Amino acid sequence: MRLRRFAAVLTAVLALFAGGAAGLLGTCGPFTDMANDLFCPFVLEIFYLGITTGTTATTYSPGDSVSRLQMAAFLSRTVDSVLLRGSRRARLNQFWTTQAATALGVTEVGLTPQFVKSDCTDLWVSDPGLQIVARVRGSDGAVLESWTSGINPRGVLVASGRVFIAANTNPGRMYMIDPSEPVGSVTTVSTALGVFPQTLTYDGSNIWSANSGGSVSIITPGGPPPWTVTTVTAGFSQPNGTLFDGANVWVTDFGAQRLFKLDGNGAILQTVTLGSGLAWPAFDGTNIWAPGGGSVWVVRASTGAVLATLTDNGLTNVQQAAFDGRRVLVTSGSDHRLALWKAADLTAIGSLDTGAGTSPLGACSDGKDFWVALSGAGGLARF
Amino acid sequence: MSAGRVLRGLLAAAAVLAGAAGGLIGVCGPFTDTANDGFCPFVLEIFTLNITTGTTATTFSPADNVTRLQMAAFLSRTVDRTLQRGSRRASLDQFWKTQTLHDEALIALGSSPGFVKSDGADLWISDQTDDLITRIRGSDGKFLQNWISSVNPSGLLVAIGRIFAAGNLSPGRLYMIDPGQNAGAVTTVATTLGAFPQALVFDGVKIWSGDFSGSVSIVTPGSVAPWTVATVTTGFDAVAGMVFDGTSVWAVDTNADRLFKLDSSGGILQTVTVGNVPGFPVFDGNNIWVPNVLDPSITVVRASNGAILATLTGNGLGGPYQAAFDGERVLVTNQSLGSVSLWKAADLSPLGFVSTGGGTQPHGACSDGVHFWVVLNGSGSLARF
Repeated sequence: MRLRRFAAVLTAVLALFAGGAAGLLGTCGPFTDMANDLFCPFVLEIFYLGITTGTTATTYSPGDSVSRLQMAAFLSRTVDSVLLRGSRRARLNQFWTTQAATALGVTEVGLTPQFVKSDCTDLWVSDPGLQIVARVRGSDGAVLESWTSGINPRGVLVASGRVFIAANTNPGRMYMIDPSEPVGSVTTVSTALGVFPQTLTYDGSNIWSANSGGSVSIITPGGPPPWTVTTVTAGFSQPNGTLFDGANVWVTDFGAQRLFKLDGNGAILQTVTLGSGLAWPAFDGTNIWAPGGGSVWVVRASTGAVLATLTDNGLTNVQQAAFDGRRVLVTSGSDHRLALWKAADLTAIGSLDTGAGTSPLGACSDGKDFWVALSGAGGLARF
Repeated sequence: MSAGRVLRGLLAAAAVLAGAAGGLIGVCGPFTDTANDGFCPFVLEIFTLNITTGTTATTFSPADNVTRLQMAAFLSRTVDRTLQRGSRRASLDQFWKTQTLHDEALIALGSSPGFVKSDGADLWISDQTDDLITRIRGSDGKFLQNWISSVNPSGLLVAIGRIFAAGNLSPGRLYMIDPGQNAGAVTTVATTLGAFPQALVFDGVKIWSGDFSGSVSIVTPGSVAPWTVATVTTGFDAVAGMVFDGTSVWAVDTNADRLFKLDSSGGILQTVTVGNVPGFPVFDGNNIWVPNVLDPSITVVRASNGAILATLTGNGLGGPYQAAFDGERVLVTNQSLGSVSLWKAADLSPLGFVSTGGGTQPHGACSDGVHFWVVLNGSGSLARF
């Protein structure tokens, strides 16, 4: 029987049918109170997408008004559906969430990898242990290049077709890589940043560094090095992380336990008091996810309001947050864990143990996978 | 004269930049009944995106309630516009749908290519006759590698930074490739799968195979081979395609004409009767598309409850074999007719079909986010759509 059917599969030449969809018995899909008119395809689309289930299994109640509560449900499901279907992972048929350390694809990249950024194709990983910046191909995890970085490479930034690296030195430095050139030594474009720069961000014009020595530096790219640097100290204690929300630069201050919104000159426009251990935040397009200690604070960038303090994934030593379009990942070093939240509604998705001693630190997304620097294991994990 | 025209052009451009867009003469864009206040930009955005056209050409009726029917139209258009604008194809200015398969879109492969998967950059193709797994660069179709020593490689899986292939043998095998290494022999990580595994899926922890002899095998990745395998036979007759919907693994039973939802141990949680000889399905984020080879038809099943939403016919179907999803569209290969059929995934409406040529026998298919890729088993080639 089986062979006969299988043979039929290979040999059948089948006639075309007139076309259409069967199985739905109403006048418009399953709905008996809907005309099969110009509006029917719209109703069917949101039914097929799970945005509506109808008012009953066979009615849609097309003439009813929509309350704000119902509207919230419809809009929420619409956002979720669009983000899921529009993701790179959906296009590659990858709907799983990695749940076991054995399922992490780990690339050995160095001794103590710290921070990682994607240029959409490759990953760039700083490693102060070997004093290199490694280039890893995102598609297959192959180590492509190791750039000799100079002293203490730390935070990484990909902007303007170049890769920039903060050097955790006194005074601070900034290195630059032209990724189209043959591998070699980085170019030092400034040696006059504030003390101990940790991370970098870009506002479309200038590069900003958060310096744990108590300042923020604003670097103006252009021309032969050294590039112009302005360092601002007023109001800062130990800046650590920095990000740009499309309008303003924000800085997490480890010492002050605060999140600062800055103006174009580095002056503090707004202060958001958070808590201890503030590390390296991420922006999800609407909100800032600021990890610190055992919490992740979610702050609305447009107002500075704290929307939530997340502690539900059981972490105690959170480090860096990263956003992939739908989810936020947070690394937790001494817990050796990675935790995930759904960014749109702040619900916890779960967490994963990366193994004792792995000390996950820096993280980023390349739009498909999260990548995590395992600073204790010399590896770069694909999550 | 030329300098004067340039100057006038610059002045005109500056005027446009300094003021509002021309042509919209109402208070808020074209709408005379909507104030130019804090809400106006929202109204203009959905007007610009053609999510609304207003209640008339010059009115939006901002205080009117919205009926569920009107809301459906707004939400449906919102989904469509967002998916289209957010796609990689839109970013690359590729708004066309291939309607003729030109020779330039074909890449020569081996004797009998079967299945294809993308790792986001490269394509991986199995060939059971040549016992090869071939790597093709997606951006330009350049041949990159042949991996050897894989007897009867069938279904493929890209997961955990590795490429996996089902060894279509009895007992079944699981092969693995580290794509960061130089091409060579595949690594055999398991030799005790159920007989004749066809397709592979990953659930975030374990790799599952659908075995044509009537089982599913659950493989636990480990640090050293052989990896642990648990094979479940209860309730299965001839498993072919598999999908993971983010929560559960689903298995297609070709002989039983069933789609099974499985628990984490391979037990059958739910049974959905589909069409005649189902093949290799795809999940689109909400629904599972199951091609039924002999009907020929596509059964669309809601993953959250197992309900059959629609049974699609026509649209050039002829021996539908494998489905693939690119974020907006579902493509199905028509093995016996030598064509591929396309649907808009969000509303199941047909988008037409394209001939691949007589005897080409389109087999496996996948998306890399920009293109669909289709294995033409009969002509030994890979087609880019």
